Amino acid sequence: MGALLRLLPYYRRHLGPFWMGNGLLLVARIFEALIPQLLKQGIDGIGAGAPALGLLALGITACVLARFAAIWVGRRAVRKLGVEVAFDLRNRLYEHLQRMGQGFFTRYRTGDLMARAINDIGLVRRVVAQGTRTVLVLLFSSAVAFSFMIAESPSLTLLLIPPMPVIFGIAWLMSRRLYRESLAVQEGFSTLSDRVQENLGGIRTVQALGQEEREIARFAVTNDDYLDRNLALVRTNSLLAALMPGLGATSVVAVLYFGGLRVQSGEISLGTFTAFVWYLNMVLWPVREAGNMINLFQRGAAGVARLFELLDTEPEIADRPQPGVPERIQGDIVLEGVTVGYPGAEVPTLRDVTLHVKPGETLAILGRIGSGKSTLLRLLVRLLEAPPGTIQLDGHDLRDYPLERLRGQVALVPQEPFLFSESIRENVSYDDPERSEEAVEAAAVASALAETLKGLPSGLETEVGERGVMLSGGQKQRVTLARALVRAAPVLLLDDPFSAVDAETEAEILARLAPLRHGRTTIVVSHRVTAVRGADRIVVMEEGRIAEQGTHLELVQADGLYAALERTQRRRAQLEHELEEQEDALNEQEEEGQP
Amino acid sequence: MSGQRDHGVFEAELSGRNFDARLTRRLLRWLLPYRGWLLASGALVVGASTLAVLMPVLMARVVIDGVLLPASTSAIEAPDFGTLELAHAFERATGIPPLASACLLYALFAAGWAILGHLQRMLLARAALGAIRDLRAELFAHLETLSASFYDKVAVGRVMTRVTNDVEVLLELFWGLGMLVGEILPFFLALALMWAADAQLAALLLLSIPITGIATWLFRRATRVVYRKIRQSVSKLNQNLQENLSGIGVVQTHVREARNLARYEQINDENRLEETHAVHLEVTYGAFVDSLSPLALGLILWFGGGHVLAELITLGTLILFARYTDLLFRPIVAIGEQYNVLYRAMASTERIFQLLDWQEEVVAPERPVRLPSRLTGRVEFRNLCFGYEPGHDVLHDISFSVEPGEKVAIVGATGSGKTTLMRLLSRFYDFDRGEILIDGVDVRQYDPRDLRSRLGSVLQDFHVFAGSVRENLSLGDPELSDAEVETAARLVHADHFIRTLPNGYETDLAERGANLSHGQRQLLTFARVLATDPEILILDEATSSIDPETERLIQEGLHRITEGRTSILIAHRLLTVQEADRVIVMQHGRIQEMGSHDELLARGGLYRTLYELQFIEEAA
Repeated sequence: MGALLRLLPYYRRHLGPFWMGNGLLLVARIFEALIPQLLKQGIDGIGAGAPALGLLALGITACVLARFAAIWVGRRAVRKLGVEVAFDLRNRLYEHLQRMGQGFFTRYRTGDLMARAINDIGLVRRVVAQGTRTVLVLLFSSAVAFSFMIAESPSLTLLLIPPMPVIFGIAWLMSRRLYRESLAVQEGFSTLSDRVQENLGGIRTVQALGQEEREIARFAVTNDDYLDRNLALVRTNSLLAALMPGLGATSVVAVLYFGGLRVQSGEISLGTFTAFVWYLNMVLWPVREAGNMINLFQRGAAGVARLFELLDTEPEIADRPQPGVPERIQGDIVLEGVTVGYPGAEVPTLRDVTLHVKPGETLAILGRIGSGKSTLLRLLVRLLEAPPGTIQLDGHDLRDYPLERLRGQVALVPQEPFLFSESIRENVSYDDPERSEEAVEAAAVASALAETLKGLPSGLETEVGERGVMLSGGQKQRVTLARALVRAAPVLLLDDPFSAVDAETEAEILARLAPLRHGRTTIVVSHRVTAVRGADRIVVMEEGRIAEQGTHLELVQADGLYAALERTQRRRAQLEHELEEQEDALNEQEEEGQP
Repeated sequence: MSGQRDHGVFEAELSGRNFDARLTRRLLRWLLPYRGWLLASGALVVGASTLAVLMPVLMARVVIDGVLLPASTSAIEAPDFGTLELAHAFERATGIPPLASACLLYALFAAGWAILGHLQRMLLARAALGAIRDLRAELFAHLETLSASFYDKVAVGRVMTRVTNDVEVLLELFWGLGMLVGEILPFFLALALMWAADAQLAALLLLSIPITGIATWLFRRATRVVYRKIRQSVSKLNQNLQENLSGIGVVQTHVREARNLARYEQINDENRLEETHAVHLEVTYGAFVDSLSPLALGLILWFGGGHVLAELITLGTLILFARYTDLLFRPIVAIGEQYNVLYRAMASTERIFQLLDWQEEVVAPERPVRLPSRLTGRVEFRNLCFGYEPGHDVLHDISFSVEPGEKVAIVGATGSGKTTLMRLLSRFYDFDRGEILIDGVDVRQYDPRDLRSRLGSVLQDFHVFAGSVRENLSLGDPELSDAEVETAARLVHADHFIRTLPNGYETDLAERGANLSHGQRQLLTFARVLATDPEILILDEATSSIDPETERLIQEGLHRITEGRTSILIAHRLLTVQEADRVIVMQHGRIQEMGSHDELLARGGLYRTLYELQFIEEAA
């Protein structure tokens, strides 16, 4: 429950509506409490034979209208608070999540984050909108009703106090049980869902092994268990619904009996007696609502805890710009003994990497999957953090640059093309939607995207669908490349961006980039020799270390890892070519064989 | 044949009618087995409602009129519905003063009401939960009968939510409707009593009911529009967030955070606007509903007070009317609340029945041929042609046979038809051109499920069934002893790692399944084959890479399970191919080459090229 205190700052921004709303709700209770007073006067008036019935009915109507107005304004103000807090929290969470780094997103999967953003903010909203209001209203109700009762007959009121602690105690205990049981039902439901999902996921095996009957029997166990959990919850709920008014009735009986005695002895009037019965309702109302309230608060507290667990996480990549770093990056990159590993991994991904890339140089990095190539590129845009002082850019520690400046001028084309469900144009010009038409088209030409666009009826305006489903893998990669080229950044990092196209097309696109690379520092990562052979310098990586470096010719002569990779890849290309020819030949035979 | 159905309907939104009598009648059938409980619950509702309605009578007529004001009211004829007589009888029986005995009677009524109400709710819950449980079980059993062609085409998630969420909505409906009875019955009882006590005043109060009804109807209509807009804006919010999280790397490297936040804030603001609108509507309606009962109080005091003065009714009757005002407006509010549930429930019902009515299975023959107690294991494919969709054949004229005990490896590129061939043999799809014979009998003459129990299918991934390792290996065959299962595991080298699990053979795999390595899963499937001892083995090899040590274990295990068993292996690894007696090379749905590994290599055709490519992959 303490977690709920974290919401206080969010309340503070809306203190005006908060006090106004709750103040009005208190006023509404006072008008509500006046109604039994009027009823009392009516009854006593009738008894005395001289009532002003019309006036009293008018008074009741006036009270009802005043109460309506107070509730209408007050309740709206308080409930709107819930909407506002949810609004603020959503924005805050979004802003916060955008600053989180890789480690965070490995720890919290998208599904988990979505669940928190949807369900937990929903829970918080309900606590703010309903919880606070109801608690205050219930307190007001009891307090106002008690005051009126004491004013009417202190001795009779005192008689009502003894059963109260018992009633509240039982309500408290039962609602805790209720909370536990509703958690059990939720768990039962997710077990049920898991069981169905598991079964459907493996339905082929289930059927192949003739396991249908056993699976049905297994499901029946889960299904029955879920029924039992539900039944337990219903039982407690129902008991609460029976016990609370049942215990409340003892108070009614007390009023009936002791109040009755007092009426008989003439100590109080029949009107007072009747008004008491009405006030009793107001006093007992919180008792009936206690279970719901506690449930609401407990779930709300759990939601707040889950939300603030995210909001309390500091960004791994801290943006602490230092003065003196240049506005314009030249692209002189120095790595000195860089060793980094992913959290939880036993061996570091990069081990003692030392490398100097000169401005305007084109460097290629070749290596197998998992050799650390991509990690190296991610370090340069600080998606991952290298130890302080190990990476220098234009003579300054990489960490001294404002993140915005660094990432704005070092363009990374990631290995996995990720497109947003917008048009191709919006994807290409993602960093700056107001960019000129010419710039976008030039980037499309340079990335060989222009050819693709010709085949699409809407050209640049084509919507690519969720994650770019409307485009092929190669097309997506071209859009990603155009997205980087359009930025005309002084440093360009290409992380194996053509894995989805064949080696020839890859070589061709890279050749086309040559004039663009002029004056820019470019690092190309690939697993294909054909893609890297034209580079100024080639670095071969293995198991996180630099194994060899030099030009294509130097490395081939050295007859090391590079030369071996080159031979295998050449042979494979040859074999693939042969396979194609054989298949073509077979297909021709078939066609000839058919009339 | 499969493939002609429109599986798109599973994705589409259904009509979402308001109320459908046919669907409802069909739905009620699941309640039929629980009609006894429902009837009993109904009887208890009548009892509880009667007590609830009589309690104010006891207070107003017996205590107030009878005890507190006997002198002034004795002249007026006012109905007491037997409570006065009951109170007098109770008074005589207990011998305590009238006021105390009336109060005691009131307490007894309250206790009775609480007990009856609780029993009624429990009976109702048992019936509703039971019906829901049965419906779920039936849905699940139905899912098990649907064929592979169905699961190829529909999203599993959508099928799943029908069993889980859609059924849950029905529970809400059953429960809600049941509880509605508990609101409506006291209303009518109270109305009847009020009519008997003062018809004029009762009629006057009744006038407010249509006004409330209209207000409720207007409110529900207005909120339906707003709620839809809220749902739309919430789903826009979620879509935006989800996409942004999925592409967070791109967002960060393109420094788009500020722009994205601005866009999100804009959608969030739209949502805030709609939410505020909804709050406005809800508060207006809520405050209106809350005002009804006290307004009625004013009316009763004014009009009823006149009747008291005219000595038409007693003062107690007036108070009785005042006590009933709470009962008057509750049913309408409750019906309004149930309306939304009903609306959702109809859509869910439609989806559930669509699934239940979906018949798509591999047909079993009317009189299936009984399988012999032990098959010799000869498999023959004769001129088999097949396509998942008409006009697009993926298998062309396949003919070959596998002798008992022979091991045949099938190789070919992705899409060459290997897997389809095995699916037809396992009877996952029906076919009508060509034949597959097992021991000389067409497979279509066997019951598909009998047949499958004799084919040991080892699919690409080991499916973990809920339950212990032992149950996963024996597949629940009661004739398999613990020792036999453990021997099987030992023979394929799975015994060692099973013993390292926390509870050995009794470890629950559902919880730990995710922690098993690929190699371990493979070994478990081998142990399963050895333990269940099928006559024919179909193995679809996984392509994932495995460390050399496990590779060796798997190779030995494979050798063990194929020994003396007719085996068809869809091979991805060299060692597996070398294990086979004969290799079949498939390409584009045809058999291109057939022979032993050495023969085919020597021939220098397609197989040789595939072999070398594979060899380079494995060496690289």
